[in-house]
Amino acid sequence: MADKNAKKKTMTLAQRKSLEGLIFVSPWIIGALAFFVWPLFVSIRLSFSEMISIQGFQMKWVGLENYKYLIQTSTTYMPNFLAEITNTLINTPITLVFSLIIAILVNKDIKGRGFFRTVFFIPVLLGTGYVMQQLLGSGTNQVIDLPEGLLMTLGGDFAAIVTEFLNRITEILWKSGVQIILFLAGLQGISSSLYEASRVDGATEWENFWKITLPLVTPIILLNFIYTMIDSFTDSGNKIMSDISHCFTTGSFNQGAAMGWLYFAFTFLLCGLALLIMNRFTFNQGER
Amino acid sequence: MAKAKAKAKKADKSNLSFRDRYTKKHVKRFIVLLGIYLVLFDLAFVFLYPFITMIIDACKSEADLVNRTVKWIPSGIEWSNFKVAFEGLNYGKYIWNSLFVTVVATIGHTLICAFIGYGFARYKFPGKGIMFAGVILSMLVPTQVLIFPQYMTWSSLKVLNTFVPLLVPCFFGFGLRGGFYIFLFRQFFLGLPWEMEEAARIDGCGFFRTFVQIMLPMARSSLLVCAVLAVVWHWNDYFEPSLYLNMSPNLSMLPTKLPDMYAALGQLSSEAENLPDIGADVIVNQAICMASTFLVILPLLVIYMFVQKQFMEGVERSGLTGM
Repeated sequence: MADKNAKKKTMTLAQRKSLEGLIFVSPWIIGALAFFVWPLFVSIRLSFSEMISIQGFQMKWVGLENYKYLIQTSTTYMPNFLAEITNTLINTPITLVFSLIIAILVNKDIKGRGFFRTVFFIPVLLGTGYVMQQLLGSGTNQVIDLPEGLLMTLGGDFAAIVTEFLNRITEILWKSGVQIILFLAGLQGISSSLYEASRVDGATEWENFWKITLPLVTPIILLNFIYTMIDSFTDSGNKIMSDISHCFTTGSFNQGAAMGWLYFAFTFLLCGLALLIMNRFTFNQGER
Repeated sequence: MAKAKAKAKKADKSNLSFRDRYTKKHVKRFIVLLGIYLVLFDLAFVFLYPFITMIIDACKSEADLVNRTVKWIPSGIEWSNFKVAFEGLNYGKYIWNSLFVTVVATIGHTLICAFIGYGFARYKFPGKGIMFAGVILSMLVPTQVLIFPQYMTWSSLKVLNTFVPLLVPCFFGFGLRGGFYIFLFRQFFLGLPWEMEEAARIDGCGFFRTFVQIMLPMARSSLLVCAVLAVVWHWNDYFEPSLYLNMSPNLSMLPTKLPDMYAALGQLSSEAENLPDIGADVIVNQAICMASTFLVILPLLVIYMFVQKQFMEGVERSGLTGM
């Protein structure tokens, strides 16, 4: 007893603090073990093996067979894969640019900004699920009809790009609600004293944007970049995702898992690359 | 003060000629403002277009749908569309399922993620870096990859076709975008000053009480942001409920009923496609589809109308640039 007491007393402040911290994150630790680490492990193992019987999870290790099948034999996987990757790589930068512009405009002290903020948040209310897919899919996304004469004068290739862009734009804008919100939050966090100081020094708004706003929102750009990529990769309208769901409902679990992991590995690589590149340009206020 | 100044300025200028009053600078500012409004209205139109089309289409009667000249203003509101949609979705019954899951999951996500996020923001403990990487990873790994092992786990626990698989992970910081909320709260708590907590601790307040009585009230704005996003995402979630609840029609939720509705109406219209000219059925279905879609998101619109102002204030105060 006395020994225990003595031990308790020797617990330093730092130790007690770290114990309290662990108590705070303990729900997450339990959750991670139950809902994340184990499924992650099983899913990786599934992708490298062949299911013998679903009862009791009997699996045979087959190495890279499932992956080989997807890359070499499957006729639908690689085209879908490439299509979705291109799609994401095109959409992500456009989403970022548009949501930053919108956030900056809506952050200005102008009349009716409450209205605009509400409008730009509406797509978030519709979620990213089935409802949005239906709304965007039912021909409502062709907001802007270009006159045919204009397209003719623009010439074939360019006209195709323009129409493609216009067809994309609603979808992109509709999926940038959360990004706008995050940018808005970031812009609000920039101290107005910086702008005041630069105004005293005679800087224009254009210079303010490049020298103050942009450097200070770089962390949010990074966050939004990753969010957008993930959102686009895991979108329910994504062909690969529906293929994976299809695999699981029809019982070809190994292939489903391999599909998921191959795709996810690539996503992860892209995100990691983005992190590496953008970390060099990210400005953290805390570091000074 | 500012008003008086403006008044003085105005009085000053009233003596001047038009040219002096509106200098180049004024004109420039006016043009910039005009440009901003133009861009904003353009974008607002693009944002609202599908939404408005949905509402207008939902109100159209058969005659309006066939009539090509009726695009924006229907001749009247066809309430029967909503009635058919209401009955087809079994709205009165399934809305309660949706509400129950959304409310419970949102409460779980909001409170628990605030708790966890606070731990990540304020304490140092061994393994913190790895754990936070785990939080980010849980954001990155798509549900579809993990769904099968999770499904097997729930099935071995014999809780499939109940709400348990949808609700329990929310209370552990997982579930639908759980990692995102933890990240949000961590950012928010990082930006708060230490003084309040230190004062509370010196006065002998325990760590749990400090969190509940001091930090949570301060995090009101972030709690609201998190809650609104959680409500929206849980309400619209389609993938997990359709998988976990597919054997128990009693527990269906509204968004999972919507594809059934579309499929049923789609069948009708595909039959009609064989007809030589555009059958009225096809287009009537479009109206009913839109009406049912509208009904599904209606509760969200109502909720958002009430919290919109506080939500935007919460966004402004979430302190995300303090990363």
